[in-house]
Amino acid sequence: MARQRSLAIFAAALVAAGTLAACGDAGDESDEAKGPVTLTLLEYQEPRADAVEKMLPDFEAAMTKQGRDIKVKLIRDILPDDQFKTKITQQYNAGEAPDVTDYGASFVPGFAGAGYLLDLTPYLKKWSEWESFYPEVRDQIVQPDGKIYALPHEANTQNLFYRKDVLDKLGVSTTQPTTWPELITRLKQITAETGKPAMVLPAGSTWGGGTFGEGFLNVMLGTGSTLYNTDSEKWVVESPGLTETFNLYDELTNNDLLPVEALLNPEPWQPTKYQAFPAGELPVAAQGTWGWRYDWGPEGAAPIPGLLEKVATWDYPSSDGEPYAVSSVAFSYEVSAKTEHPDEAVELAKWLSSGQAIAEQLVAVGAAAPRTGIDDIAPYSSQPTLIETGKQLATSRSFPPRPGQDQIAQAVAEATEGILTGKMDGAAAAKAFAESAKELLGPDQVETATS
Amino acid sequence: MVLGLLGPSLVLIALFVVGPVGYAIWLSLTNKTLTGFGAQTPEFIGLENYRRLLTSADFLHSMGRTGEFIFFSAIVGQFLLGMLAAVLLTKSTVRAKGLFGGAILLPMVVPEVVASLAWASMLAPGQLGTVNRTLDAVGVTPLAWLQEHPMASLIVINTWRGIAFAMIMFQAAIEGISDDLIEAAHIDGAGARKVFRYITLPLIRGPIFLFLLLTTITTASVFGLIYFLTRGGPGGQTQVTSIYIYEHSFAFFQLGLGSAASVIMLVVVLVLGLTYVRLARVEV
Amino acid sequence: MARAALRRTGIYFVIGLLSVFCVVPFAWVVLASVDKTAGLYLELPSLTIENFRRFFSDPTTPRLLFNSLLISGGATLLALVLALFGGYALSRFKFFGRRTLMFTILLVRVVPATATIVPLYIMMIRLHLNNSYTGLILVEAAYQLPLVLWLMKGFFDSIPVELEEASWIDGCSRLGGAVRIVFPLSRPGLGAAALFTFINVWGDFLTPLVLLQSAEKYPISIGMFRAFSAHNQVDWGLLTATAVLYMVPTVLLYLFARRYLLKATFTGALKG
Repeated sequence: MARQRSLAIFAAALVAAGTLAACGDAGDESDEAKGPVTLTLLEYQEPRADAVEKMLPDFEAAMTKQGRDIKVKLIRDILPDDQFKTKITQQYNAGEAPDVTDYGASFVPGFAGAGYLLDLTPYLKKWSEWESFYPEVRDQIVQPDGKIYALPHEANTQNLFYRKDVLDKLGVSTTQPTTWPELITRLKQITAETGKPAMVLPAGSTWGGGTFGEGFLNVMLGTGSTLYNTDSEKWVVESPGLTETFNLYDELTNNDLLPVEALLNPEPWQPTKYQAFPAGELPVAAQGTWGWRYDWGPEGAAPIPGLLEKVATWDYPSSDGEPYAVSSVAFSYEVSAKTEHPDEAVELAKWLSSGQAIAEQLVAVGAAAPRTGIDDIAPYSSQPTLIETGKQLATSRSFPPRPGQDQIAQAVAEATEGILTGKMDGAAAAKAFAESAKELLGPDQVETATS
Repeated sequence: MVLGLLGPSLVLIALFVVGPVGYAIWLSLTNKTLTGFGAQTPEFIGLENYRRLLTSADFLHSMGRTGEFIFFSAIVGQFLLGMLAAVLLTKSTVRAKGLFGGAILLPMVVPEVVASLAWASMLAPGQLGTVNRTLDAVGVTPLAWLQEHPMASLIVINTWRGIAFAMIMFQAAIEGISDDLIEAAHIDGAGARKVFRYITLPLIRGPIFLFLLLTTITTASVFGLIYFLTRGGPGGQTQVTSIYIYEHSFAFFQLGLGSAASVIMLVVVLVLGLTYVRLARVEV
Repeated sequence: MARAALRRTGIYFVIGLLSVFCVVPFAWVVLASVDKTAGLYLELPSLTIENFRRFFSDPTTPRLLFNSLLISGGATLLALVLALFGGYALSRFKFFGRRTLMFTILLVRVVPATATIVPLYIMMIRLHLNNSYTGLILVEAAYQLPLVLWLMKGFFDSIPVELEEASWIDGCSRLGGAVRIVFPLSRPGLGAAALFTFINVWGDFLTPLVLLQSAEKYPISIGMFRAFSAHNQVDWGLLTATAVLYMVPTVLLYLFARRYLLKATFTGALKG
């Protein structure tokens, strides 16, 4: 009697716990309808989610016109880059990733290599509009295995942005500096007049991946040394070019040309690009296309009135005499390899990378179209700076993202931080970088070079 | 009968606590990752991960930082302040013991994340940060504590968090000392300090050692407190081993390497744990 | 006489200072939660209950509370049920290997989550328990079981076997006697066990961070972490209100549990 009762209680408790949990889990079982298709699309940055959300009804209508019943569920999960990366990797690994995702091209090699992404090559080959994508863009997005796993929908060019009005007032030349010594002389001139740092170039660990992607790499591309050996598929972690770049950071720091204090604190772009630059106190900034809209545009984080009159761009000075801009493929659409609706998902990716849809997104974040045919579409058509950037793509230097880039970026961030804090000089930082890169990547993924 | 009653518990523990230990050892012998071309074909690489870790400055530094963190916050900080509180509040004539005890208990009972948040404000940079404002009164310039002295800040926070634990353990031990013994010492003319040094301290040696062991083990596995505030930064200055493991396993997704680091940490903790279990001499 | 008075003042000063040190960091958390213009710095609040109201009316935050309750409640319930029977078995049956088992359980308690989370994560994916309430509840219960088993065994040890023996003589079955006589007496023990389990699971950060990926399943600890990470857009009022709601239950439960604290500390119950 009592035994039965106790067993009943035991069972009831387990059932109760189980039901509680199941109730919670029930929410995420999506109903699989046979006819209509529902795609999931993930956006992890707010302006992109907003821009895309506006266009989705048009996509669904366009599909209906074609006789297909496709709905799109937009998942907004606003996160910083590193947290997003962890989360999406886990989702890919568990086979629970959304059908279509949108992230930067630098994430693609790692995920493609691990087999998480759908091979888009056959689809793109059949797509008439693929030819309208710039050849540089199409080349950059191909993975080491020769296939394409992401559809780019934006490109960026990075330059040195400067305050024309401030430099004019200070009597500093605004012509294109051809070499770093030339630029440094001007920066010293600026600092002598203002008593403050003259240029913000990402450095240190609080800038995260930006230290590498928006600062160090850009400078490095002017040194002539290779950073990644495509034949051996290894990173070249010691080279004259690397030493030269670290020495440059050293020189900039020692002459008080960099806003060191800001660079050592969280969100270093706030006091520098969002406050000091708009205020005219820090007149030179390493910046990218997005600066025209996302940062300093009228709806940006730190609008600058009269932006087009006050701000202009220089290419990066170089040691081989040819100044250059750095361009890269930015955000792209990927389809999960485990999606149940590959054809429809690719349709969505293609649609979002064309016409009005892509124009809206480009203007929302401030990026250049990676293809022709968009220059006349509003609202992109009213953005001369973005269109101009698009034209620069063909002549700029670039560095396609490679697996292990995260680790390299981390090693660079730590080494440059050593310079900022005064603990290391250029040579010591170069050495620290090489060791750190070797540790983070493993000795079989790195090598050294002498030229 | 026993199997039916105890079985489910043992299954759960075996599956989710003991199982992973074995699996960690297995994974540590492979080069399993979740991203990159190697991810599709993990290989058995033997002790390669261990060789890499034990020659890795990053990993060895993280162990060093863990040691530093444990020594200063647990062995020194929590011990001294906890002992102080225990002595002042046990067998003493202080009034409102409950109030003081309750106040000291607060840092220990709140969730980890709340403790971190509270200190984020305390250590806020600039003149308005609470710590800065207090120190301003004695003429110290305001600092960005979590950027310039991150490890020291975390040590203070973890000390703050664990004082109550030490206090409770020592209180219980001191309570157990016979009052007659202390009376006798007083009659012999011993002052409070002498009583503490020659009577109290030797008699509670056992509990002290147990406390040190226990707090070393738990402090070694502190993760949320640190991760919430610094993520192991800036520049890796607060990357203790638990964060090193997380970074390599869930940021770089090098699970083989992360497992090897986990195993090393397990070995160290289990050695300490075995010592504790032996010494606790708990009645079975 | 004066020296004694000076000593007493000194003691009060020291213990007072220590207490203040322990309490001060919470001042900002509480004050900012009722501050209309809450920032990161400690300041006098312009009083409002708006932040708390917003916690409950905002689309995402009440879910955090629900999830924390579900996960902690589920894990506690499961652990209690299993430990009730398991603790009884450990106490009443002197089986072969019991000593070793007891020590193993104590040793298992010591294993840090940070050292097993990596393989556990992969296991959970294989078992299809990743990113699920069920999986997390099972894991949390498993983490707490060693402690709870010890507590319940210790508790049952203190209840004389004679009580059950009497019931057997009266005709009850082996287990029946236990259930009718002993289990009802175990309520205080269960209470203490429930308290500690709930508090430990409620505050857990690492396990849900790794084992959950859906934002709608996050408990409060992860929700607060995500909110805090958005450095320049942190809603301090809402965040501190969340923190207050998060910490009040544990503080209250500990006030209840203070009686059991001393007994439990000998087995190192608290930290972990």
